[in-house]
Amino acid sequence: MQSESVIDVIEITKSFDGNDAPAVDNLSFSIHKNETFGLLGPNGAGKTTTISMLCGLFNPTSGTIKVHGEDLRVHLKEIKRDLGVVPQDIALYPTLTGRENLNFYGAMYGVEKAELSDRVETWLDKFGMTRSADKRVQSYSGGMKRRINLIAGILHNPKILFLDEPTVGVDVQSRAAIMGHLKELNDVGMTIIYTSHHLEEAEKFCSDVAIIDHGRIIARGNPSDLITAHEGCVNLEDVFLKLTTTALRD
Amino acid sequence: MRRLLAAMKKEMLLLVRDGIGLSILFIMPMLLIFVMTLIQDAAFRTLNEQGIPVVFINKDQDTLGNRIEQGLKDTELCDFHTRIDGEIATEESARTAIKEGKFLIGIIIPEGATDAIEDNIIGIVSESMGDPIVQEGDPTQAEIKLIIDPVASKSFITTITSQLREFISSVKTRIMFETFKEEIGELIPAGDAEIKDSYAQREVITYDQEYASELTGEAKPNSVQHNVPAWTIFAMFFIVIPIVGSVMKEKQEGSVFRFHTIPASYFLQINAKLIIFACVCLIQFLLMLSIGLVFLPMLGLPVLNLGNSYFSIFLVALACSFAATGYGVLVGTLASTQQQGAILGSLSILVLSALGGIWVPAYIMPDAMRSISELSPLHWALDGFYALFLRGGGMLDVLPHVGKLFLFFGVCIGLTALIKRAKQK
Repeated sequence: MQSESVIDVIEITKSFDGNDAPAVDNLSFSIHKNETFGLLGPNGAGKTTTISMLCGLFNPTSGTIKVHGEDLRVHLKEIKRDLGVVPQDIALYPTLTGRENLNFYGAMYGVEKAELSDRVETWLDKFGMTRSADKRVQSYSGGMKRRINLIAGILHNPKILFLDEPTVGVDVQSRAAIMGHLKELNDVGMTIIYTSHHLEEAEKFCSDVAIIDHGRIIARGNPSDLITAHEGCVNLEDVFLKLTTTALRD
Repeated sequence: MRRLLAAMKKEMLLLVRDGIGLSILFIMPMLLIFVMTLIQDAAFRTLNEQGIPVVFINKDQDTLGNRIEQGLKDTELCDFHTRIDGEIATEESARTAIKEGKFLIGIIIPEGATDAIEDNIIGIVSESMGDPIVQEGDPTQAEIKLIIDPVASKSFITTITSQLREFISSVKTRIMFETFKEEIGELIPAGDAEIKDSYAQREVITYDQEYASELTGEAKPNSVQHNVPAWTIFAMFFIVIPIVGSVMKEKQEGSVFRFHTIPASYFLQINAKLIIFACVCLIQFLLMLSIGLVFLPMLGLPVLNLGNSYFSIFLVALACSFAATGYGVLVGTLASTQQQGAILGSLSILVLSALGGIWVPAYIMPDAMRSISELSPLHWALDGFYALFLRGGGMLDVLPHVGKLFLFFGVCIGLTALIKRAKQK
C-alpha cells in the first residue's frame, strides 16, 4: 500500500508575461512520504518553475498545491518550516567561512543555538568538512561548496527536501558523498524531490520519477518500470531520449 | 530576536572582511573633509572678507600713508604685505605679483599725499578765517592707486575703498583740527590744548555687531563649520554604494533565493542591514567630528564649534544615518544589476548633495535654487547641524529636520516593500 501523500499538485499552470506557451501546463501529481522523487526533463521543460512553486517562491497562475493536505498559498509560513531547499547555484557568502554560513542559515531557520552547534559539527564531520570549516567559502573547491550548500539546506531537519541539481560540477568523490548522505536522510524519513540532468544518478537514487517536457508530465513511475515499459530501452537515459527526442533545446 | 542578531552578525562580518570597501567608507570622507576644507577656506575668507591678501606701497611716508598702513594692518579684512618675496614692494613688482594671483589688490599711496591734504586744509582754514591764500598754479592733488586682480569681488573693492576713504577722512579731520588749533592759538592763549586733543581722539559713534546665535563665542560660517558637517553628511549618504553592493550581491549569489524559502520575513535581512550600516554612519560621523575638533586646527584652521546640545547632535546624526541607509536599501531594491545600482546611487547622491548645499552653502545660492535645495534630505541634515553648530540651537530647533529625515527613511522603506512585492509578483 502506498504511503500518505505529502505534496499534492492539482492542475497547476504557470504563465509568464511575454511568453505564449505556459512554462507549466495543467500539471497534476502527488509525492508520497519518504519518496525520492525525481523531476527530470530537458532544459526549459518547466522543472525549475515547478520546484519554485512547490517551495512557495511564487504562486501558480492557476491550480492548487497542497503540502500535508494544507494549501501552500494559505499556510506558506508554517509549511516553510518543513521544507528544505538546496538551490542549483551556490547560495553561500564567499567571504564567510563554511561554519559561519551554516550557523547563519541554521539561525535563520530558527534552530536553537546549542542544537545548531551540534548539528553543524555533525554534518561537517559527515561531509569531511571539519578541517576546512573555518576557511572562507571563496577558497573552497566546487565540491566543497556543493557540500556546504547542501548542509545549509538540511540543518533544520526538514521533512521535505528540494534539491535542484545538487551534484552539478562536482567530482566523483563529492558526488558519491552527497548522494550517500541523501540516501541516509531518506532512510530516516525525509521526502526528497530532486531534479537533475544526470540520469544514471537519478535512476539509482529515485524511487519515482516524472519526465516533464513543455510543462507537462510525459511519463511517471519507478525507473525500472519505465525502462521495462519502453521497448528497446536499457536505462533511464534511453527512455528519456525516446520520450523527449534528440532535438536540441534552448 | 535571535534571527535578527544572527543577521546583524552576518552583515558585520561581511562588512569587516571587505577591507577595501571599509577603508573607502572611512578614508574617503576624511580626505574629502581635509581637501575641501582647505580649498574652501580661502573662498570662505573672501566671503567673510577676512584675510584678503593685500600688498601696500607707502611712497608718502607721512601722516596719511602711515595712518592707512596702520589701519589696514589692524583690520581683519587684510592679510597685509609690504614685501614681495622678501623685497620691498614696488609698483612694478606689485603689478606682476597681482597678475600671478599672489595678491588680490595692491594699494599705492603716492609721494606727497599728506602734503596735498595739508595744502588743501590750510587753504580751507585760511579762507574760513577771512585770510585767503592766493595759490600759484593748480592746487596740489594726490592720487591713490589701486591695482586689482580681476577675480576680486566688487564687494571687496567697495569695502577697501570705503576703508581708504575713512582713513583719509580721519587724517583730514586731524590736520584740520591741528591747523585750526594753530590759527586759534595765535589769537587765544592755549590753556586746555591737551584736553581738546583727548576729545579729538575719541570715537563718539561706535558699532556693536552681534550674531543671531545662542553661542557665546563667535560662530560664523567658516570653512570648518560648513565643511565638516557637509562632507560628513555626504559620506553618510554615500553609504548607499556599499548597501547597494550588499543587496545586489545577495541577489546574485543566490542568498535572496534561500531567504525566500526560509520561514522568516526578508525584511529581517533588510533590518539587519539598516542597523549595521546606520552604526557605520554614526562611527563615520564621530570620526569626522574628531577631524573638525582635533586635526583641522593643527593645519591652522578654526576649531569646529559643536554648539550647546550634544544630544541634539546625536539625534540629527541618527536621523541622517537612517535616512541614508533607508535610501541605500531602496536603490538596491530598485536596481537590477550592481552597476545600475552604483550609478543610480552615486549620481543621485551627487545631485541631492549639490542641491542640498553640500558643495556650495545654500545661503549663497540664487533664490530659485535655494527653494529647490529644501527638498533634499541632505539639506535637512545640514540645516539641522547649522542650527546646532552656528546658531547654538537645541532640541526644539532640530526636531523638524529630524522629523523630515525619519519620514524620508519611512518613505524609502515603504517604497522598498512595494517594489519588492511587485518584483516578486
